[in-house]
Amino acid sequence: MSEPVVHITNLNLWYRQKAVLQDLNWTINPSENWLVYGASGSGKTTLAKAIAGLVRANGSITLNFKPEAAQPPVVHYVANWYQFKDLEGQSNFYYQQRYNKQAVEVTATVRAELESYGKKHGLNFGIAERIMSDLGFAALIDSTLIQLSSGEHKKLQLVKALWLNPQLLILDQPYNGLDTRSRENLNTLLDELAEQGMQLILIANDLEIPACIDRLAEIREGKLVEISASDRMTDFFTEETVPPVPAFLREHPAAAASELVVKMIGINVSYGEKQVLRNVDWEVRSGEKWLLQGHNGSGKSTLLSLICGDHPQAYSNNFYLFGNKRGSGESIWEIKARIGLISPELHWYFDPSATVWQSIASGFYDSSGLFCEPGSTKHAQADELVSYFGLEEYKNVLMTELPLGKQRLALLARTIIKNPELLILDEPCQGLDLHQTRYFNMLVDELCKNGTTLIYVGHFDALVPSCIEKRILLENGAVKSIETMTEAVETADNFENFEILTKP
Amino acid sequence: MSNYFNTLPLREKLNQLGVCDFMDSAEFLDGVNVLKGKKLVIVGCGAQGLNQGLNLRDSGLNVSYALRKEAIEGKRDSWKNATDNGFTVGTYEELIPSADLVINLTPDKQHTAVVNAVMPLMKQGATLLYSHGFNIVEEGMQIRKDITVIMVAPKCPGSEVRAEYVRGFGVPTLIAVHPENDPEGKGLLQAKAYCVGTGGHRAGVLKSSFVAEVKSDLMGEQTILCGLLQTGSILSFDKMIEKGIDAGYASKLVQYGVEVITEALKQGGITAMMDRLSNVAKIKAFEVSEELKDIMRPLFQKHQDDIMSGEFSRIMMEDWANGDKNLLAWRAETGETAFEKTPAGDVKIGEQEYFDNYTLMVAFVRAGVELAFETMVQAGIKPESAYYESLHETPLIANTIARKKLFEMNRVISDTAEYGCYLFDQACKPLLADFMKKVDTDLVGKNFNEGKDGAVDNRALIEVNEAIRGHQVEQIGAVLRKAMTAMKAIKTA
Repeated sequence: MSEPVVHITNLNLWYRQKAVLQDLNWTINPSENWLVYGASGSGKTTLAKAIAGLVRANGSITLNFKPEAAQPPVVHYVANWYQFKDLEGQSNFYYQQRYNKQAVEVTATVRAELESYGKKHGLNFGIAERIMSDLGFAALIDSTLIQLSSGEHKKLQLVKALWLNPQLLILDQPYNGLDTRSRENLNTLLDELAEQGMQLILIANDLEIPACIDRLAEIREGKLVEISASDRMTDFFTEETVPPVPAFLREHPAAAASELVVKMIGINVSYGEKQVLRNVDWEVRSGEKWLLQGHNGSGKSTLLSLICGDHPQAYSNNFYLFGNKRGSGESIWEIKARIGLISPELHWYFDPSATVWQSIASGFYDSSGLFCEPGSTKHAQADELVSYFGLEEYKNVLMTELPLGKQRLALLARTIIKNPELLILDEPCQGLDLHQTRYFNMLVDELCKNGTTLIYVGHFDALVPSCIEKRILLENGAVKSIETMTEAVETADNFENFEILTKP
Repeated sequence: MSNYFNTLPLREKLNQLGVCDFMDSAEFLDGVNVLKGKKLVIVGCGAQGLNQGLNLRDSGLNVSYALRKEAIEGKRDSWKNATDNGFTVGTYEELIPSADLVINLTPDKQHTAVVNAVMPLMKQGATLLYSHGFNIVEEGMQIRKDITVIMVAPKCPGSEVRAEYVRGFGVPTLIAVHPENDPEGKGLLQAKAYCVGTGGHRAGVLKSSFVAEVKSDLMGEQTILCGLLQTGSILSFDKMIEKGIDAGYASKLVQYGVEVITEALKQGGITAMMDRLSNVAKIKAFEVSEELKDIMRPLFQKHQDDIMSGEFSRIMMEDWANGDKNLLAWRAETGETAFEKTPAGDVKIGEQEYFDNYTLMVAFVRAGVELAFETMVQAGIKPESAYYESLHETPLIANTIARKKLFEMNRVISDTAEYGCYLFDQACKPLLADFMKKVDTDLVGKNFNEGKDGAVDNRALIEVNEAIRGHQVEQIGAVLRKAMTAMKAIKTA
């Protein structure tokens, strides 16, 4: 029997006076590929970083690489969070910057970024091109980094990792923001590389995983517990219930001024030669619950940014929000006051110097960070939501010090705190575990009972709130179809692999 | 045209220099209403022009851009910035006659030409807005008597003005009304509404005057903000090379050090910056900065005197007339310095190391901030203005050096600031020659605490702390920083 590739004994790691990993033991033998999952905050990311040597932990971690293998003898960790830098080496960007246009481009192109990465690691560019085309990323090679959506940044991260083809690859929540087709292609690519000898540790709470995964484990109370595939399925379909939502969120949102919340007529948005939205017509009536779908780069976030007052080209298009023509003297703050928004970009650019409580309370003012004292009523409401989302112990902790899933929960609380008439949830559950996702979606169902209008973006069809009744599908910036959910299920084969998962 | 300030009687000079009120947020409750439905035309679409325009439009105001015919026909960057973002763009002739508010956001040097072209086209009773008072105060531009003249000056680069607005905040802003041009008494109301439109009211607004703004702005940028940071950076780098410190390390320490050091300044003034040093290093930095203050005081005073008398603007305008001969020569010289030409090395320097190994810069910053502040206050400028133009802006300028060294600093600041910066640098380097001979690597390049046991005399430390904390710039700073509610940490890689 050859040496284990990874051998971990008695690993202990503390974070904020709390034990995250406790006497954890783990042996990964040659040719094994593991899936690790667990609740948000259970220590998945910490364990991965410890193996990659990015955090220090007590205990022993031994890595044994094969000197004769084709793959470079390294462990490569792909973080669940991505960060890019401008040409001056800074990463000081702001939410919405990608929609503003200035003559000077400040970030590198995808091509330049990949060329310099390939040069650094001595890689053949032809291989990267193949991976890019498999992940549906090839058309973006001349885009600048700031123009990429969150899903596209995720792909760039994955292209680099697969191109490097290390002996041990650790992927931390790689499916976040990827559309169905890209997820499948990623799994196929991983299977191929595993076949050639790369070993994989996949950290994910998702159900669709590569075929090469042969061992499963959950992190529970700081320890690694091996799980059988069937136990995992049972666990996945455990019933959830949500406690009653706080009273102040059960009220009907401020009376809708107009029957039509959104009315878009022939919307076009382009950046130079690149057209992002083409002739989009769409009407959202008060109280309707919509699902917005489309592959990565199909124009979903641009469409939503128009509604949220974040896109400068809103002023050169013909559309109405809450019954008023956009650009007729309203301020974006009047628009934002009526919308509760969460999106990967909002999370990404959120003020890192705010505490959890401040972040939640900032939802009253639609600001990134809190700049004024909210007064006692709002204060109490923020406190109530902090406990409703189980975040009491993190209340005064900086957002950046929390695990990603907890950060996301705080931002979800921020999104609903003012009980807005329009909820825009753009992949709200990225980074949450399955229980949290279903819990949140049930909460959305509860909230929406009172006449709230909903626009929900989600790639995982099984994981959307059940109140959704209509779907708009974008393809290459144009509306491909508008239909009810019943119709969408019937005509499922015209879009990816649309299926509603049923309980076994 | 003659220097406006010099035409005033002493009484009125002092009067206008002494305008400075930190405005209460209740002053802005009317929002943008005064400008609602009015036609705002911005002249110029560079970084300030574009970003202020984006904010104003997002606040519900009607904004368009007037550009010179050549800029439109040549599809220059200013034209692209405006049209790509969906703004109406037209020539002066097309847009100015119907404008209620004309916003001049062109570089200082073009002001006379722009205002001369725009003024005859402006309708009766319209308003002209500046973001810097040089043209009015130093060049003595006379504006038609029916026109209201105001100033709104966000104290940050244009990109920051936009970034802070979209996150629901703003940048500190200075506003003023020109007393010679407020025929209808509406100037202040319009300036306040404009300020709300750009988001400045959320971050703290200082009511100033054209005169106070110009005289303090020129002083700040020439001495501590740009002049001394340039001199200090070049001398520090040269010293390290002379003493055999690795050039890549020296380059990185100087390029990023001033930003890290002044980040502490931004959050807690000179006190916080000095407190980042060990006790021994703090006492040393204090002594060195006292010595630097004594050496440089006459130079700071000369700059302030020349600014007040109009001598500075006279010689700078001579250089304008001369095709920027001096400016271009000095710019080239700065580009050729060893610091500028040595790329930052691929070495890791920890945050604390920037303080411990660059104690000299801490001393430079304390000396420069205090001297600039003291000199301005002695000349009749209010402490609040003096604070903004010295301590408050230092971290912002330091940030430009971290990006691309002195080249970037001098590119981002105005031509006026750049000219003044070189003027100071040229005089300051010889002045510090003897001082620099005594400086060794314990002050710059190596950890000052190395080989020392860290013991200090209690009384000496108490005296130094009292001198630092008791300075007027610290007292006014504590009040103003609190009033500015939230300070955003500059996010660096």
